[in-house]
Amino acid sequence: MSTLVFLEAADDLGLQALTFARRLDPAVEVVAVGDAPSVAAKVHLAEITGYAPQAWARAIANLGPTTVIAAGTDRGNEVLAHAAVMLDGVFAANVIAADGDTVTRQRWGGSLLEEARLHGDVKLVTVAPHAVAIEETTGEPDVQAFQPELAAGDLIARVAERVEETTAGVSLADAPVVVSGGRGVGSAEGFAPLEELAGLLGAAIGCSRAVTMAGWRPHTDQVGQTGTKISPDLYIPCGISGATQHMAGCKGAKNLLAINSDPEAPIMASADYAVIGDVLEIVPAITAELRRVRGLS
Amino acid sequence: MIASALALAAAIAVAGALFARRVLLLSRLVRMGRPSGIDRTDDVPERVRSEAVVVVGQRKLLQRLIPGLMHAFIFWAFIVLFPAIFIAMIEIVDPDSAPDWGWYDALSDVFCVLALIGVATAFYIRKVVRPRRFEGSHLGEADLILLWIAGIVSTLLALHATDERAFAWAHVLLILGFLAYLPHSKHLHIATAAINVYFGRTRSRGRLEPLKFDDETPEEEMRFGVGTVEDLTWKQMMDAFSCTECGRCQDACPAFATGKVLSPKLVIMGMRDHLFAEGPKALEGEYEGPLVAETAQLEEMAWDCVTCGACVQACPVNIEHIDHIVDLRRHLVMVESRFPSEAEPMLRDVERQGNPWGKPQAERADWAEGLDVRVLEPGDPAPEVLYWVGCAASYDERARESARSTAKLLAAAGVDFAILGPRESCTGDPARRMGNEFVFQAYAEQNVATLDEAGVTKIVASCPHCFNTLAGEYPDFGGRYEVVHHTELLAELVRDGRLAPTASEQTITYHDSCYLARHNDVRAQPRELAAAVGRPVEMERREKQTFCCGAGGAHMWMEENGSPINEERVREAAETGAETLAVACPFCTVMLDDGVRSSGRDMRVVDLSTLLAEAVDQRE
Amino acid sequence: MNILVCVKRVPLTGGKMVLTADERAIETRHLGFTISPHEECGVEEAVRIVEAGGGSVTVVTLGPPEAEEQLRDTLAIGADRAILLETDGGDWDPEATAAALVEVIAAENPDLVIFGNESADAGGFQVGIRVAHALGRPIVTGLKALAVEDGGLRCEQEVGSARDVYRVPLPAVVTVKEGINLPRYPSVPAKLRARRKEVERRTPAARDPRLEMVRLIVPEGKGKQAEVLGEGPGAAPAVVGLLQKLGVA
Repeated sequence: MSTLVFLEAADDLGLQALTFARRLDPAVEVVAVGDAPSVAAKVHLAEITGYAPQAWARAIANLGPTTVIAAGTDRGNEVLAHAAVMLDGVFAANVIAADGDTVTRQRWGGSLLEEARLHGDVKLVTVAPHAVAIEETTGEPDVQAFQPELAAGDLIARVAERVEETTAGVSLADAPVVVSGGRGVGSAEGFAPLEELAGLLGAAIGCSRAVTMAGWRPHTDQVGQTGTKISPDLYIPCGISGATQHMAGCKGAKNLLAINSDPEAPIMASADYAVIGDVLEIVPAITAELRRVRGLS
Repeated sequence: MIASALALAAAIAVAGALFARRVLLLSRLVRMGRPSGIDRTDDVPERVRSEAVVVVGQRKLLQRLIPGLMHAFIFWAFIVLFPAIFIAMIEIVDPDSAPDWGWYDALSDVFCVLALIGVATAFYIRKVVRPRRFEGSHLGEADLILLWIAGIVSTLLALHATDERAFAWAHVLLILGFLAYLPHSKHLHIATAAINVYFGRTRSRGRLEPLKFDDETPEEEMRFGVGTVEDLTWKQMMDAFSCTECGRCQDACPAFATGKVLSPKLVIMGMRDHLFAEGPKALEGEYEGPLVAETAQLEEMAWDCVTCGACVQACPVNIEHIDHIVDLRRHLVMVESRFPSEAEPMLRDVERQGNPWGKPQAERADWAEGLDVRVLEPGDPAPEVLYWVGCAASYDERARESARSTAKLLAAAGVDFAILGPRESCTGDPARRMGNEFVFQAYAEQNVATLDEAGVTKIVASCPHCFNTLAGEYPDFGGRYEVVHHTELLAELVRDGRLAPTASEQTITYHDSCYLARHNDVRAQPRELAAAVGRPVEMERREKQTFCCGAGGAHMWMEENGSPINEERVREAAETGAETLAVACPFCTVMLDDGVRSSGRDMRVVDLSTLLAEAVDQRE
Repeated sequence: MNILVCVKRVPLTGGKMVLTADERAIETRHLGFTISPHEECGVEEAVRIVEAGGGSVTVVTLGPPEAEEQLRDTLAIGADRAILLETDGGDWDPEATAAALVEVIAAENPDLVIFGNESADAGGFQVGIRVAHALGRPIVTGLKALAVEDGGLRCEQEVGSARDVYRVPLPAVVTVKEGINLPRYPSVPAKLRARRKEVERRTPAARDPRLEMVRLIVPEGKGKQAEVLGEGPGAAPAVVGLLQKLGVA
């Protein structure tokens, strides 16, 4: 019976995964690749340069765990899926709670939950982002480096190079404040007041899927289950009705201020604050008031 | 005598040959035209009535008195003077046997003078007044025709005055020349107009021509609207041949009035020019030509249209511009997949979700929460009246109010009604007006099946677009129901005393919806309601001349160029000084409310059903 | 190049989730259906590759008989063949799904297999990877760009605001994400042709699930009413007050 948690880094999501893993098994050990994450735990550090999911999974499999946990990031899900095949294990992604063989996991990006039973000797789970409150802290790792025994083909799919995007402005995924527009904005030009407000707040601009399909904003601005998932301190959806596929993208938002003309729109059920009315009248008013208040101070 | 007869015969032969050759081309083109999707030979009494009123009676032209009289004088002169041509010919060949009907000569003289007055007036209008409706028209051609007419009647007057054979020759030669020129010019309308009026729509003017997508029709024979010239229907060609470039449609068009590229006149002229440029090539066979939409800005113009029908209403020869525009859209949407991208979510949502708002059908009856509204489940007994709520009233927060008001009123009046709730999907109107006939037909068939299974015989609809489709278009898919608009039913209930409103002092101006007042002739009942709840005051552009709110033709989901149509209409409403702007359509509600807010005015935009509900509450 | 794309029929849920009485499925009585957004982009990508360089596109789905509707949609986008692995519509776990797909894919032996990164409903994040291992092929996931280059693939995977580039030889498996392209709006002639095409039907062997769905649960909402700060532009001062309170003003 051995439990491993695969950590990419000691960031928020990593610490959430570690918290979850520690609850399942206080003797959990960490497996990582390349750089050891700064956590106070035993870290098995595989020496592989560069990201190659199958090779990284092989490293985990080499250690022969019976339970593997990781954060539900793109890489976490990918590596654990590979490891599941290698360990002939059962893999449940985006779990929010576990009890023995039973887990509660997310479907529909989190808009629906599933209670599932895992059958098999080896179990792998990834932890849904922001489902667990962090109880761990960073610290000094006890590193044990090792050379993984890779199989032929493990390194075929590996990162050859990284291309940095020259994105102007704040990155949507990292922004502390996000201002989004939906159908209620009316047109591509309708985003101008939102951009102005975002500029003042140092916020990123997001949009709903309807806006992307209408051709008003690029897909890179889309917030939602199949777009970018955000977790800002404040999320301001404007003219967005709140379909589940959109809400799946902003579950992590700490505060949500909805601006919408429909007081009965589904988004109101997830909002902390709301302003009712026409987006194109309200947003410029907020911008003007913000300028005024800043001018005074 | 023989010499003159031979000379005359030669002249007639030449003119006749030129005329015949051109007419042969025109008729070959029309015969190449695809069949019309609706029966244009039914309802004969109504068609004959149209001929009498529109053609002989010149009624549409007389809507503008001076130009109307101008044209009427020339038109009636043409009819009265027709025998004079033959009398003149006899004068040439054998002056002695020419009939000598003094009364006819006198009558002719009167009409010649009237014609000259007409021509003079026409020149005055064109050269001095210079109305905007002539922008884009071929003015030189018109001048030539007017001068020619002047020459024809002057020579006849001169003939009567002097009895000189030379004038007879001049008269006849001018006429023969005119005959040869006629089918090459817009004056062709004198032959085609009467035909075009006869074959136009009689009732259900908002009904579009269906296309056939069944499995039996081979793909090569299928028509997906107008792609190339080979896709034009014979009626569309007749429309093109009948256009005189008068511009009354352009004047009436709300898109043109607000600075958009669209002019219905230029659409017809563009189609006509393309027909003459490409049609003869297509007659040769094995044709692979350019899309009609790619000439003369037709593609751009097609998207500006709100399908309000003001152009069709204004046209003195009953050209049906909407058929041309929607057919252009149909090809662009269904074959080229080329249309304003902002409408794509709407089309996908109608197709997959059952309504253009992309909201789940399961939530369609949520507006009725708290009201005791019966939702018809499969197997339930049919209600006396099915209330067809429509997508807008089901999902839009402003339009919802009218559904709640209507439901309350129907219940208060003891009407046995029910709604379909989640089983009511979009009638398909936005998809159809957008040009996606395929998606529309899928919904038409589905809805007809649902209604028939439920045993529905009478339907009341809040939305004029639903009303237009259910009443006028669903019969093409086997759906035959008695369909009324909610203002019709509510007015009836008030008349019968089943609802007793107390009128207040509020001044109300009622905005006629295009799909009610123009396409479907519902004008009186909303006014009955307005009078029953307040003090009505009318706008100038009302009833058949109403000015669109801007949402038709799927424009609720498309961006607008130029200045906003809704603000233009709101400006007109505000000029009446009324406190309340009453509407009878959820689209009009949203558009005009937006218009009031964006122009910073202070009018309450509200559906007649809500006003009535408020007036009925007062009494209790 | 022969490409095989796997898709899944999913309901178009709206603003709320409603379950059936047995809590084992979503109530789909009045819902429309589609294929997951990632997969629609996958079909579009396959069709574009074949339009540019020749070959054929086959689409496979594991689902109920009604999934034929989704297969016809993919035929209308431009796929050449469609195969339905017919089930009774119940939940199949990722391993059973992968095993059923592998049987078909191994027989078809396409050069490239395309999956959506995860299905919109179950979101298991593993079917593609399991299929790749069973076929002994390399797999790259979450692609935002794909290009065929010298008998291999150049793949771009989004990582934050950067892109990681992979180069793998064919035959291979990839999973793609929405945003890799903008799917076309199919023409009606294409839809009519799709209507007339034959959909091949097979019955896959079911197996006991190792990730066994016991029941579904609709998560509780925030439990509190949104605090309405005001209506219209007049709410601006209250909003700015909130921004200041949250420390973002």
